[in-house]
Amino acid sequence: MIGNIEVRGLTRTFHTTVRRPGFAGALRSLVNPERVAKHAVSDITFDVAAGELLALLGPNGAGKSTTIKMLTGILTPTSGEARVAGVVPYRERERNARNIGAVFGQRTQLWWDLPVRESFAILRDIYDVPEAEHAARLREFDELLGLSSFSDTRVRHLSLGQRVRCDLAAALLHDPPVVFLDEPTIGMDVVVKEQVREFLRHQVAERGRTVLLTTHDMTEVERLAERVVLVNHGRLVLDGTLDEIRRTFGSTWQVRATLADPHTPVGPLPGIALIRRDGPQVVFGPDGPAAPTVHQALKQVIERYEVTGVAVDEADLEDVMRTAYAQAEAV
Amino acid sequence: MAVPHAWRAARVTPLGELNSPPRITAALLRLAVQVVLVASLWRGLYAHTGTTAGLGRDQAVTYAVLAVLASRLRELDQHTGRDTVQQHVHFGTIVYWYLRPLPPHRYYTLRALGEQLYGLTWALAGYAVCLAAGVVEPPKSAAVAGVFALSLLLGQWVMHYVMLLTDQLCFWTLRNDVALMILVFAQNLLSGVYAPLWFFPDWFVTLSSFLPFQATLSVPLSLYVGRISLSDAGFQLAVQAGWVVALSLLTRYLWRRAGRRVISQGG
Repeated sequence: MIGNIEVRGLTRTFHTTVRRPGFAGALRSLVNPERVAKHAVSDITFDVAAGELLALLGPNGAGKSTTIKMLTGILTPTSGEARVAGVVPYRERERNARNIGAVFGQRTQLWWDLPVRESFAILRDIYDVPEAEHAARLREFDELLGLSSFSDTRVRHLSLGQRVRCDLAAALLHDPPVVFLDEPTIGMDVVVKEQVREFLRHQVAERGRTVLLTTHDMTEVERLAERVVLVNHGRLVLDGTLDEIRRTFGSTWQVRATLADPHTPVGPLPGIALIRRDGPQVVFGPDGPAAPTVHQALKQVIERYEVTGVAVDEADLEDVMRTAYAQAEAV
Repeated sequence: MAVPHAWRAARVTPLGELNSPPRITAALLRLAVQVVLVASLWRGLYAHTGTTAGLGRDQAVTYAVLAVLASRLRELDQHTGRDTVQQHVHFGTIVYWYLRPLPPHRYYTLRALGEQLYGLTWALAGYAVCLAAGVVEPPKSAAVAGVFALSLLLGQWVMHYVMLLTDQLCFWTLRNDVALMILVFAQNLLSGVYAPLWFFPDWFVTLSSFLPFQATLSVPLSLYVGRISLSDAGFQLAVQAGWVVALSLLTRYLWRRAGRRVISQGG
């Protein structure tokens, strides 16, 4: 299955009209509109190997969805190039459509008034999937997503979780090698989220599909992605594995120690800052980019001071990403 | 790239209707009430006169009832089914139209074709009942019936493009409610649904001849009731065909432009 994605210097600039404040401003904007260029995506370069699940992360408005829209062929880039499964998506939209599946958050592609199975049948006809193949794939998706209990229900009557599961199935019914998922689990309960994650894991591991996922759910990233691309203000900030990201941004640990002698003078250690002291209770944290890992810091504290108790708080991925976003914002 | 079975997407709207029995009942009631009221109205208007504006009572009733039946061809409730172009643009689901191997313009055409065929079955059923009940007159000859059928086909084709134009407007303005209200009123007035055009002053008829609405219903219905003779039919059919070609080129151009307007909402 060839399902790699190549992105080279991808840039998309939108031209928007500035709305001036107040009545007079609105009138001026109407008579003499001022147009400004907004760089939604600037010179982004990355690759996704066939059969890889990549998380495209970034704060709201970072350019994730615009990137996905260029890779699906909906938007044409201002400059740069992209290839999805060997096809330039915005030049060969119809050919690209056969290679990709997509889910855009809570926006459903199913027909609101029709039972789910009818929506699937219409997609089967549009993608020209043979009847036997369609039936087999539906059986597989039913096993993983439990669709049969509501496949006769009209889409308008489905719960959000049921609808997103149907949308995932709809996006994969034509067996695309590449799948784009733009915040697919937004607003879903934990049980359904886990079911969807299991489905995605299966699609990557067993079916070899390439998945490009955007999400704000760090649990999802931790459970699904090995590699992450971080974008902010349309620029690529980081491209690496979760371990690399933790190493780069994850040094937000704290070591809490209880001193045996509350009068012991305490000061900073190499790469370690004293955050606060309250009698025998002292809290240390990382100091600068050369800060040691939490384990090294713990060792230093124990070796330097006589302590009766010690505890470690290590940042989870959410904290790590918060730090990453904050640092990206500062650049 | 050919998509051999994509024509089956034409079933989308009829299937939605058949899955909503209350809508079928409502459509049936509405059609029956409209036909009865329109027939009664025109019979009442002709109660004390034999011929008005060159049209006899039975011709006028036939025209009015056929206008009601024909307007049923594109009256399906896409809004309830969240399947109008405006809703797709508003909710951002229009992106899926651009993610399938069936291009948006072809999907739209297939969907519209399904709607019109479904509407046609209603119109034909209504016509058969009205014919059997003596509410409408049969066509004067087989030739009139044939020319009427051809003209109605062209008229519906024009109507399709006019509807498409208002839908395409959504790519630029996001909403088309006002345009639709104007369209429905103009369509009903200028195509002769409210009243046959020959009841209007000459300047109005001349003005409306520069617009496509006459070509949608007024021409085929006038052919049916004999207001336009068979000898003049060729010219009228040519005008209708001209509208089809002109609107086809315009909407094709707008589809290309619309594709560049599908930008996303959000990040």
